[in-house]
Amino acid sequence: MIEGLASLFLLMGTAFILVAAIGLLRLPDVLCRSHAVAKASTLGIFLVLLGLWVVLGVEAAGLKILLAIFFQVATIPVASHLVALLAWDKNLPLWRGRQRPAAELDPEVEKG
Amino acid sequence: MSSSVISVCLLGLGAVVLLALARVVRGPTVLDRILAFDLIATAVVAMIAVLSVQWHTPLFLELILLYSLLGFVGTVVFTFYLHRTLPRRRSGRERSGAAEVPQEPLS
Repeated sequence: MIEGLASLFLLMGTAFILVAAIGLLRLPDVLCRSHAVAKASTLGIFLVLLGLWVVLGVEAAGLKILLAIFFQVATIPVASHLVALLAWDKNLPLWRGRQRPAAELDPEVEKG
Repeated sequence: MSSSVISVCLLGLGAVVLLALARVVRGPTVLDRILAFDLIATAVVAMIAVLSVQWHTPLFLELILLYSLLGFVGTVVFTFYLHRTLPRRRSGRERSGAAEVPQEPLS
């Protein structure tokens, strides 16, 4: 029971971090990539640490894992927000969408 | 804990590190590389968590805390440094070829 729950949490967390990595590789500009990294990797590391908590039990190391979870959930979105703010401030090339004609597209935005 | 679950999790996190390293190599700006290093730090923390599930020990929790702290502080320090030094790019319409050149040594 506890093993199955922990396995589910670990696999789901790994899958979410993998989704974050695929989004980091596939999305077109800095803001989209910071969006992918912030949301998916936060949920993924949350689930992995929750699986560790389920395995170890509360009496072994309850508060320390809760502190680690709190720290990850608090800091990953802050770091990603700082990166997105810097990208917006420095006017880095943005993705304009696919419906525009190709002449209006910013040529510095990497395709795919 | 069955070892196949551990193996699948470690393989997935290794794939995460490889994909993020591909973004580090390819990334057009320095901010993409900072995001990729942030994701690598997250994946390493998840690897430590998976290994401590396998060994069934709470000894590595301080390591998890320290590594996540170092990743966050590294990202913040790079961001504040680049806030001062990264040249502001001209807007897309009035683009000229010379405006992009000073960004190259940083990115």
